[in-house]
Amino acid sequence: MENNALKAENITKYFPGVLANDHINFDLYKGEIHTLLGENGAGKTTLINIFDGIYYPDEGNIFIEGRHVNVRSPFDAMKLGIGMIHQHFMLVDILTVLENVILGLQSQGFLVNKAVVARKIKEISEKYNFNISPNSKIWQLTVGEQQRVEIVKMLFRGAKILILDEPTAVLTPQEAEVFFDILKQLKSGGKSIIFISHKLEEVMKISDRITVLRKGKVVGTVDKGNVTQRDLATMMIGREVLFNLGKKPLKMGKEVISIEHLEGYNDRGIKTLQGVEFTVHSGEIFGIAGVVGNGQEELAEIITGLRKASKGKIYVENQEITNSPPYNILKKGVSYIPSDRLKVGLVPNLSSIENSILKCYNEEPISHGPIMNYSGAKAYTGALIEEYNVMVPRINAPVKLLSGGNMQKLLLAREMLEKPILLIAVHPTRGLDIGATEFVREKLLEARDGGAAVLLISEDLDELLMIADRIGIIYEGKIVGIVKPEEVDINEIGLMMGGSHLANSMRH
Amino acid sequence: MVTPSAHIILANLLFAAVRSGTIILYPTIGEIFAERAGIMNVGIEGMMLIGAFFGFVVAYLTKNPYLGFIAGTLAGGLASLIHAFISITLQGNQVVSGLALTIFGGGITNFYGQHFANYQLKTSLKYFAIPWLSKIPIIGKALFNQDVLVYLSYILVIVMWLILYKTKVGIHLRAVGDNAQAANAMGVNVYATRYFWTFFGGLLAGAGGAYLTIGYAPFWLDAMTAGRGWIAVALVIFAMWDPLNAIIGAYLFGSLDALQFQLQAAGTTIPTSLLTMQPYLLTLIVIILATVIVRVRHIGVPKELGIPFSNEEK
Amino acid sequence: MLRFEKRENVSLKLKILVPIISVLAGLIIGAIAILFAKINPLIAYKSIIIGAFGSKYTFTETLVFATPLILLSVGLILAFKMNFWNIGAYGQFIIGAIFSSYFALFGPPNLPRFLMLTIMALAGLAGGAIWALIPAVLKAYWAVNEVISTLLLNYVALNILKYFMYGPWRDPIGHGFPLSKTFALNAQLPKIIPNSRTNLGLVFGIIAAFIVLFIIKKTKFGYRISVIGGNPNAARYAGINVARNIIIAMLISGALAGLAGMVQISGVIHLLQIDINPYYGYTAIIVAWLSYLNPVVAIFVSILFGALTAGGFQIQMTMQVPFGIISVIESAILFVLIGSGILMHYRISFVKRRA
Repeated sequence: MENNALKAENITKYFPGVLANDHINFDLYKGEIHTLLGENGAGKTTLINIFDGIYYPDEGNIFIEGRHVNVRSPFDAMKLGIGMIHQHFMLVDILTVLENVILGLQSQGFLVNKAVVARKIKEISEKYNFNISPNSKIWQLTVGEQQRVEIVKMLFRGAKILILDEPTAVLTPQEAEVFFDILKQLKSGGKSIIFISHKLEEVMKISDRITVLRKGKVVGTVDKGNVTQRDLATMMIGREVLFNLGKKPLKMGKEVISIEHLEGYNDRGIKTLQGVEFTVHSGEIFGIAGVVGNGQEELAEIITGLRKASKGKIYVENQEITNSPPYNILKKGVSYIPSDRLKVGLVPNLSSIENSILKCYNEEPISHGPIMNYSGAKAYTGALIEEYNVMVPRINAPVKLLSGGNMQKLLLAREMLEKPILLIAVHPTRGLDIGATEFVREKLLEARDGGAAVLLISEDLDELLMIADRIGIIYEGKIVGIVKPEEVDINEIGLMMGGSHLANSMRH
Repeated sequence: MVTPSAHIILANLLFAAVRSGTIILYPTIGEIFAERAGIMNVGIEGMMLIGAFFGFVVAYLTKNPYLGFIAGTLAGGLASLIHAFISITLQGNQVVSGLALTIFGGGITNFYGQHFANYQLKTSLKYFAIPWLSKIPIIGKALFNQDVLVYLSYILVIVMWLILYKTKVGIHLRAVGDNAQAANAMGVNVYATRYFWTFFGGLLAGAGGAYLTIGYAPFWLDAMTAGRGWIAVALVIFAMWDPLNAIIGAYLFGSLDALQFQLQAAGTTIPTSLLTMQPYLLTLIVIILATVIVRVRHIGVPKELGIPFSNEEK
Repeated sequence: MLRFEKRENVSLKLKILVPIISVLAGLIIGAIAILFAKINPLIAYKSIIIGAFGSKYTFTETLVFATPLILLSVGLILAFKMNFWNIGAYGQFIIGAIFSSYFALFGPPNLPRFLMLTIMALAGLAGGAIWALIPAVLKAYWAVNEVISTLLLNYVALNILKYFMYGPWRDPIGHGFPLSKTFALNAQLPKIIPNSRTNLGLVFGIIAAFIVLFIIKKTKFGYRISVIGGNPNAARYAGINVARNIIIAMLISGALAGLAGMVQISGVIHLLQIDINPYYGYTAIIVAWLSYLNPVVAIFVSILFGALTAGGFQIQMTMQVPFGIISVIESAILFVLIGSGILMHYRISFVKRRA
């Protein structure tokens, strides 16, 4: 009796310059939750994309319930009962839940039989407690609700194997608990689940078995009961992981930035900041924790002048800068590392030289009056690249050709070389491999030790606990608590991120 | 109190407005759907010219205006395939490709068209009045006493609206234009969808041009479309990518066009050129307003418009 | 099926090869179109070459046609570098021509030539700049799509010209044709090659090309333009006043187009007429693209296209081949050029579909 819902043998996949999957063997028992663990670039995403038919392996075979199959498109995968829920939801904002569910469905005819579909959606929603209405438009739903729509999509199509790519990245610890309950229900409903994560704690909680990938190869497949988090981390990295970066003691100086009752709107016209208040002092890292979408990005944009505040005041070194043009704010010594480097930070088609002088092109020796001094700029860039160890194959080539990690390093270098008094970093290690991540965190600590005030907005709680001196938790546009990492545990923070206020939550 | 003659003048004006508006309604609908799929085609002027010319030639040679209309429509569709290939498969710059298509259309119709300059079509389209509806005062004649191709445009708008909002095809189309990656992940063939709707846009651009030389003014002149293709590009924004709104925009422009003729015929002292200028000027003002409204209301523009799609790894 | 793999860098070899192939492909496509008209393409092309380079005079004609292209394309290059799709060069050309004609027709007739021409040139620059200012402001402050706004303004400009030419500026002794009085000698740009129509405008063009090259490569303004064109958000972050720079760049772009208009009426046709060719405004776009947005390269590409233009008039005159074929060739070149754009960044391979 075939016990494997899915079995992959010898899966190999090349991309230009990299062997993403190297003869990988993987199997999924029926009714188990099997976690794929590994760092960014280990090959997890490639492997599940192969299962979902987005890529086709160069070598290897896939078997579904013992039968050899060719998965050539997500459509094939669906027919075979494989449903994938991506980290970035594959939802069309302007369509309704119902329309998203039937998107791409072959069984639907030319005209849509809305009544039948709506009924089935409601059935699924009630069975698993999803609370989804078929006629809501996606852009009106919360992130958690959107995620459940994704699951409904798969169940609607009769998926028996669910692949979940970092599903808790956008959830609070409490919402994640709810989510895990749903997974357990799906398990008992006979579904088999492949779960991708890099969060060791939840992996230990939810998995039956764990397969660790490193640099495209399988390091090992283990039962949850036979390993510890430390074992898993070592398997992932290949060496002892530094869980502690050796942070120097806090030397907090004077107040550098003060935010008073800040209010602001996001691009959709929704008021995401509802009265934020906090201060950051020189020599400290002030972290902001919160589930993505509670106003963090808008906060950073308002502080740097890229977005207007509707109410409230911001003071830098006792001077009000609310709604000043970005240039004036930057001139005061504020540096900004945005979460989307290609959106604001860098100009993709321009060279490394032209990008690194973005903030100082107006000054000597980069320019003399109205004339540019590109040889001076080249020297400046060269020094910058060397100090921050950025891999730049050709200094004149467009910056978009660099790897994500190197782009981030270049950005970091540019922003930090100015010796800012206030450094704002938003999700600075997102999408970076562990080497680059360590580097960025060290540099942030360096800035702090040098007396800068650092505002670190991050979705990675572990990161905040590791390097921040104080952490403010943002929920629905307000700071609901400020804590010190050594005095609080992760569950308390999680509760605040989820909106439940503790009795004495304001401990500074 | 409205005098009878004012009634008649207004009715005649609206009648002409609908006819002139129909020329532009076809390509506007077509481009709405192409842009909904994410492809911007500013080559409408070129495709209209191609449709106008080839439609005219076939109608002239076969003495059958309907064959001419079909031929012009197909010619426009074929021309759009060049743009489709460059924009979709080769992921080239869509604005420049569209421009090249316009220049190409102008060049090729000028080149082959000289032979046919000032030729007239002897055959004409069938007119008929729709019973009862055509008796409605003022607008009855304008809307329901027209030729076949005008009626066809009404059916087209309704059918396309239904397709867009009530069918699976429409869902796929809207998905591709809003989030191509998501549509692709759900099994929708983004490339095929875009090719199809770009071709559709070309067909309708050709149809509009063909109507110009077959139904509206049954002769051929070099560069006859006189910038209507560009007005259509603007009207798509004005219509906020909705086929029903397109009618309003098209007939509005048609009214300006018709008004300008009426004034000239009535012997106005306003110089001709200032009259012919105002449709363009007014379209410009309309676009400014529409842009501001779209920006403020965060609606309309298909998010994928002009962005090439590739399902290879980046 | 086609498969694309990203290239790590762009080779110089490709950069030169692609435009050459585009030109050849354009010529081949043109030849096919000519064949369909039952004309021998070889004879047609031979005639084009004769029309362009066949004699000393025709060579100067090539330069005459290249002159407005140089000025126009150089102006467009500045706009395109900023990602501003100035399709309105034609309208800016016309308004520049109108402004300078005013002085030619109504200025003091005894003004020294040098002074008259300077005033006319300034008027041309001003006219084009003003016409470009409108779409620039619309884009800078209200995000109005510049493709449409510049285009519509072309038609408005044309109608303004028609108004003057059928109305107050029509030459009373011109038998009703929409032409102005012929300009007096002091309003005519001097020739630089005797017995030809080549005029000082060519020099203007070459100087403008080098000035714009300098602006782009060496000035802070040029740097700002590149940043705005590459990422307007980053530009704002860097303190660049995006709106102001868009407007300045477009003023220059429009001014050059307006100057081209002045050169055309003052140096070549010596009067103002309706048939100021729309061809130049759109062909200049192709020239700008084919030159990889490099103003000095644009000089040579303009000469190439000037040759095509001269050849086009030649075959129209001698073989009754309508001028439109030149547009067919030019747009075909552009198609192939854009299409091969992907070749520069991606390697294409054919992958056999696995069974």
